[in-house]
Amino acid sequence: MKLRILLADDHEVVRRGLCTLLQSHEGWEVCGEAKDGREAVDKARQLKPDVVVLDVGMPNLNGLAATRQLVQQDRRCKVIVLTITDSDQVIREALDAGARGFVLKSDAARDLVSAVEALQHDRMFFTPRVNDLVLAGFLEKGHGGSSNAVPNLPKLTPREREVIQLLAEGKSSKEVACVLNLSTKTAETHRSNIMRKLGFHSIRDLVVYAVKNNIIQVQVPEHPVTQSNDSAA
Amino acid sequence: MAVRILIVDDHSVVRSGLKSLLRERAEWEVIAEAEDGLEAVDKAGTLNPDVVVLDVSMPRMNGLAACRLIRQSSPDCEVLIVTQHDSAQMMREALACGARGYVVKANLARDLFAAVEAVSQHRGFVAATRETAGATSEVP
Repeated sequence: MKLRILLADDHEVVRRGLCTLLQSHEGWEVCGEAKDGREAVDKARQLKPDVVVLDVGMPNLNGLAATRQLVQQDRRCKVIVLTITDSDQVIREALDAGARGFVLKSDAARDLVSAVEALQHDRMFFTPRVNDLVLAGFLEKGHGGSSNAVPNLPKLTPREREVIQLLAEGKSSKEVACVLNLSTKTAETHRSNIMRKLGFHSIRDLVVYAVKNNIIQVQVPEHPVTQSNDSAA
Repeated sequence: MAVRILIVDDHSVVRSGLKSLLRERAEWEVIAEAEDGLEAVDKAGTLNPDVVVLDVSMPRMNGLAACRLIRQSSPDCEVLIVTQHDSAQMMREALACGARGYVVKANLARDLFAAVEAVSQHRGFVAATRETAGATSEVP
């Protein structure tokens, strides 16, 4: 029986590339595609894939929050997180959310097949940097090292993190309510609770928080005409 | 006659995705790939493609610097910038460097075919950015 893989990335060109890469492997099939985390969670529920490959920086529901929901939905769900950065914070959050694989997008052509193979055989796959971090945490604390994950985020419920992402993406309380299938009043209550818990007084503060904590990812404008060595993602 | 295309992006997965999309048109042929601006300038000079599909943010030499050099050395070769930068300023810079078209990666599924078709016929193609928020359009 073929290994069934669900792919989630907000860029069609990346999904195409990943699909080409994975379909070329005998015995694997891409059973579905999603363009954001919310769609990935829905499709995983319907399609029951063996492996889910999730981009971190997606609109509506980012890959880390989606990983958390996928694992909550089905403890056996095997998730590989694809990311443009292997910062400590993203690594810790991915591990904390339950990801079993972690691959840098820039290395996807080299590492993704190995990562899927590892998960297929019930192993985990991490980049050398993730391995170092996990080992350091293990040596320091005598366990996997993820209990210290993200000092700011545990104050918030998973639903509040979803609301933060949507607000930081510019959605109004009414639009948040619509996306999450809540009443506008409930969305407004979530918004007030978040602002109170984090001690914020403006949406600007919330956006800065969302960027700093990788809840949303933003492109940093550059001026490449005057440079020849920029290597931003 | 087939439109000969050079794809340039530092991410292999993106090059593969672009190739897969472009292959849907029988009259287009992806003749080569490059993973940075320097390699793009080199391959454009050697292979003389009709269209270079060029990313902006790349190591060694970025896409805009490469665009300028390609247009200087091969004026018949048209450049389509394909970037994640949804920015009117970046678009203006790209056009000033000699690019004939500008497409944002997030809108590739919508814009890629029309853009390649336009630039291969030496017509301009400028996709709407968040800031311009207008309709995608071809320009002379």
